[in-house]
Amino acid sequence: MTQAEIKLCSLLLQEHFGEIVEKIGVHLIRTGSQPLRVIAHDTGTSLDQVKKALCVLIQHNLVIYQVHKRGVVEYEAQCNRVLRMLRYPRYIYTAKTLYSDTGELIVEELLLNGKMTMSAVVKKVADRLTETMEDGKTMDYAEVSNTFVRLVDTHFVQRCPLVPATENSDTGPPPPAPTLVINEKDRYLVPKLSLIGKGKRRRSSDEDATGEPKAKRPKQSTDNKEPIPDDGIYWQANLDRFHQHFRDQAIVSAVANRMDQTSSEIVRTMLRMSEVTTPSGAPFTQPLSSNEIFRSLPVGYNISKQVLDQYLTLLADDPLEFVGKSGDSGGGMYVINLHKALGSLATATLESVVQERFGSRCARIFRLVLQKKHLEQKQVEDFAMIPAKEAKDMLYKMLSENFISLQEIPKTPDHAPSRTFYLYTVNILSAARMLLHRCYKSVANLIERRQFETKENKRLLEKSQRVEAIIASMQATGAEEAQLQEIEEMITAPERQQLETLKRNVNKLDACEIQVDETIFLLESYIESTMKRQ
Amino acid sequence: MVFPIGCLNPQAPSIMASRGGGRGCGRGQLTFNVEAVGIGKGDALPPPTLQPSPLFPPLEFRPVPLPSGEEGEYVLALKQELRGAMRQLPYFIRPAVPKRDVERYSDKYQMSGPIDNAIDWNPDWRRLPRELKIRVRKLQKERTTIILPKRPPKTTEDKEETIQKLETLEKKEEEVTSEEDEEKEEEEEKEEEEEEEYDEEEHEEETDYIMSYFDNGEDFGGDSDDNMDEAIY
Repeated sequence: MTQAEIKLCSLLLQEHFGEIVEKIGVHLIRTGSQPLRVIAHDTGTSLDQVKKALCVLIQHNLVIYQVHKRGVVEYEAQCNRVLRMLRYPRYIYTAKTLYSDTGELIVEELLLNGKMTMSAVVKKVADRLTETMEDGKTMDYAEVSNTFVRLVDTHFVQRCPLVPATENSDTGPPPPAPTLVINEKDRYLVPKLSLIGKGKRRRSSDEDATGEPKAKRPKQSTDNKEPIPDDGIYWQANLDRFHQHFRDQAIVSAVANRMDQTSSEIVRTMLRMSEVTTPSGAPFTQPLSSNEIFRSLPVGYNISKQVLDQYLTLLADDPLEFVGKSGDSGGGMYVINLHKALGSLATATLESVVQERFGSRCARIFRLVLQKKHLEQKQVEDFAMIPAKEAKDMLYKMLSENFISLQEIPKTPDHAPSRTFYLYTVNILSAARMLLHRCYKSVANLIERRQFETKENKRLLEKSQRVEAIIASMQATGAEEAQLQEIEEMITAPERQQLETLKRNVNKLDACEIQVDETIFLLESYIESTMKRQ
Repeated sequence: MVFPIGCLNPQAPSIMASRGGGRGCGRGQLTFNVEAVGIGKGDALPPPTLQPSPLFPPLEFRPVPLPSGEEGEYVLALKQELRGAMRQLPYFIRPAVPKRDVERYSDKYQMSGPIDNAIDWNPDWRRLPRELKIRVRKLQKERTTIILPKRPPKTTEDKEETIQKLETLEKKEEEVTSEEDEEKEEEEEKEEEEEEEYDEEEHEEETDYIMSYFDNGEDFGGDSDDNMDEAIY
């Protein structure tokens, strides 16, 4: 783990779980797998606090444990998983676009709580939805269950590994920690539950939204003691599936930008058809015949078979090679080259960064070197049509920032410098890694700056919160306009200005984090895909 | 394959000799012919850097504006909401409030903060290593469901009796939690120190005063008083 990643993990853990969890988490990321007592001793925290922190981290799938010999349990942190916390809003928003508010809340609850049973999720989401509905209306459990089942069917939600069902352990003392197992076939198996009920509002007034009598409430304490039908079956959000969805989205929008709407729809159809047949790490999808694609196009699209074939040929001939032709049977077999597509996206990101940082002439040189693979100094000047002095300057600037690297090709076995070729080249993988590292650093800087801004204005923020609370309570008890005016004037105009500026800055910094995270996703996907192929 | 620039070749002593001999004459001699990389004879090189690069270097190109629009705003609002929500969840672990020097009467009735030896949520202990087991502090909400139905008949009953009943209920609840725990010798001590969270209204059966009566004023004056428009009496 690089320093930048550790710093970012530390900031994320601290923001979401507090300082104690941050200390334990960062220690584990730095030192690797360790048992409980060693953690407590090395970090200087009390055993109780370490236990609390580990419970939270394990619950949220950020730390795993393993039983070693002699019964020692060691804990290991998953640094990559911690970095995913940056992407939570994006996951929730995706669930909203696909499955509307119900899906959004289900995924939100699962992400906030790490893992939950289905009945717990359904109940909580129904309650939350009921709160937002108008008076007298409630959310039925069945509807929430249906959305949950749909999320599982499309693999956005998956089961957590289970505690193996052991009969009584006569064979000696129980193990210090359970070994969790999961059968791949059961990953997406929803237990048969009959969840009947409606969401409840939190207001403990006598007239419940469901009109239940007050006597029902003491029964709630006994409800907890009834065995829950799906006890022990926990569900978590399947982040890989979300990543697959983001990747598909990126490819479709790239095609739409490069060509037109229709071709992007065709590509979208092809990707949809390959969702379940292609494993997530595959370099290209399963071959699809042109006839199949024609049949699976969305209903609103009436393009004829010939037009579809023309589009497919066009896509296959495109130099970016998103789509490839793998055969001629069935009207032409086509695949989507996922790895090449990710490579193109990563390259486009690099080009864009060079353009925005160094200017468009640098970008021209960069694209030139990318295209020609290896170029000498003189050749760069000639091909790019840029005067020698400027070209030199730009090349060295990019070289110093590691976008471009130098390759030596000796003419003689003694590598004499005067008789060696020096060629400029772009190594996409290493440039992508370098850029990813910079992205992590950027996000860490953004978070730090946001925390600094908030801390600077802490007093003002607290004051405004107090005033808001006062106004809210006065409005609830019915106050006059004049009194409200008076309270509002407690915050002076320059203070209001300051608050406005603060809000704008914090929003901007937050939006930047989200933006950088999109770049991080592209680069990480490309690097992962490349590493899998090696 | 990438070879590092200027790698020393043990088979070429002649180069090293010339480098040693060339020291001091001519502009800094390098092991390779600089013309190949493009620095011609007589070209002025940029001055050497004698200090680390500035912390905020001047921006040559302004950054591209952030994407705005409905989606961006929604995700932004989601992010900020999530941040706030996670701070309120029991997973956000705060260090325990340090113990004060003398035990005070008002401690019994004040809102308690986080404590070290208990967590506020109930994990599935079957999934966790046994060594991590820690006492689960049941939050106040669970108690209200037991207390409330007793309220209407209580007004006529003796107050002592109700206090007794509540205390036995409290002990029963603690017994349930202690049965779930492993054997801990400090159980007795913990029960005395246990600070359950009380809501103001629920406490009417124990005392006749509202909670602000027990505010011993130690928090007063912590907020800064300058620039307050209205005086505090």
